[in-house]
Amino acid sequence: MQNKKVVAIVLGVMCFALTAGICIQVRTVSGTNSAVSNNYEENNLRAEVLRYKERYDNKVDDLADAEAELEKERESATQNDTALKEKEQEITEGNKIIGLSEVTGSGVIVTLGDSKKDASSSLDPSLLLVHDTDVLSVINELKNAGAEAISINDQRIIPTTGIICGGNIIDINGEKVGAPFEIKAIGLPEQLAALDRPGGYLDILRDYSIEVKLEKSNNITIPKYTGTITYQYAKSVED
Amino acid sequence: MKRKMKKGKITMIITAGIACFALVLVMTMQFKIVNEADVTSIENMRESELSTELANWKNRYDEVNQQYEETLSMIEEYKNNKESNEETSNLMDSELEQINMSLGKTDVEGEGIVIMVNETDNEEIEDITADDLLVLVNALKLAGAEAISINDQRIINMSDIVYIDAASVIRVNGERILAPYTIKAIGDSSYLESSLVGNGGAVDDMKKKGQDVTIQKENNVKISKYNGDIETKYME
Repeated sequence: MQNKKVVAIVLGVMCFALTAGICIQVRTVSGTNSAVSNNYEENNLRAEVLRYKERYDNKVDDLADAEAELEKERESATQNDTALKEKEQEITEGNKIIGLSEVTGSGVIVTLGDSKKDASSSLDPSLLLVHDTDVLSVINELKNAGAEAISINDQRIIPTTGIICGGNIIDINGEKVGAPFEIKAIGLPEQLAALDRPGGYLDILRDYSIEVKLEKSNNITIPKYTGTITYQYAKSVED
Repeated sequence: MKRKMKKGKITMIITAGIACFALVLVMTMQFKIVNEADVTSIENMRESELSTELANWKNRYDEVNQQYEETLSMIEEYKNNKESNEETSNLMDSELEQINMSLGKTDVEGEGIVIMVNETDNEEIEDITADDLLVLVNALKLAGAEAISINDQRIINMSDIVYIDAASVIRVNGERILAPYTIKAIGDSSYLESSLVGNGGAVDDMKKKGQDVTIQKENNVKISKYNGDIETKYME
């Protein structure tokens, strides 16, 4: 009899704990509203977004092909003339610097991840996250250390790239990227690695228990910018 | 009787075991779903977000499409003018013009805004920091600025804005700059202004701290070229 009571109590407690666990889980899931909405209009919009995204992706591929062909044409048109050849090199070199072609070289990879600490253990949980200003500062320091090309989660930084955060994602070049952020930079590895010094910005982030990692590499590939660079307002002035 | 009792107990234990197993399974699945819920995915977006996202992708598609058409016509022109070195050279110049503009190698002008930032005499108000300027420049880029300069230092792809402790100066492109700071930007002047002075905008934030910032729309902002050498040593 005694035994039965114990079993009943144990079972009761277990059931209670499990039910509580499930309740919490269900609430979390509905809290992140990841449950796909049945709303007709939303589904329509979602399909439309995907369609345009696909059309965009296809066009980007077409553009890449056309650009490769243009390069070939340019090369064949200039092969017999040294002055033209020089100009061709200027174009190729320029496109690399502004981010319109893929580049490789030595450098560092910096990874920033949100803190693994329990959010409820902190007075201000937002301190445990990587913010747009953190990424902005790291990029600025990399440029200061002589970085020649930079990307964040494979989004190339071009002269007009701004960085903004919305909630727990960061918007770069109109693409949304989430933590962990992998920042690649090409330059002199030893100089770029100096970013991770006592009292430096990476060290400060580490104090806030942000996950920070810096690795040197001799073989970094930074993709090209996938969008287009156009000028609507600025015009060159001849000097 | 005793045997029956035992049988009942076994069934109970087995049932409880199965129930527990099922519950744990469900919980693990739930945990997995929560972990996999990708915040960047469009599955989680609401209607208004989806509309913005759609407009964004339409816009980007149009831009890429236009670029594609231009590239095709450029290929045609190269093909047609293959025999003439002069024509080929002209074609390259037109390509180079935009590249040099992006690099910051040419003086540019156009509609835009001019922001003046100055230190105040009030001790209680924070000094202007390199970070303030960095945030300002980032905000201008987000608002679509096509060219930017701070005290005539052109902001190029490799530009840094840092505070040098030892010398207590702000350096842009490695050159020291002093207050008052004049930040020029070319772009849609109304949009640039409204996104900076609007609630939560970069200029608004500085004003709230009591810092001395003025912003002015102009029809013709002139931004001078980067006056250093742009060279790369490590990338191929």
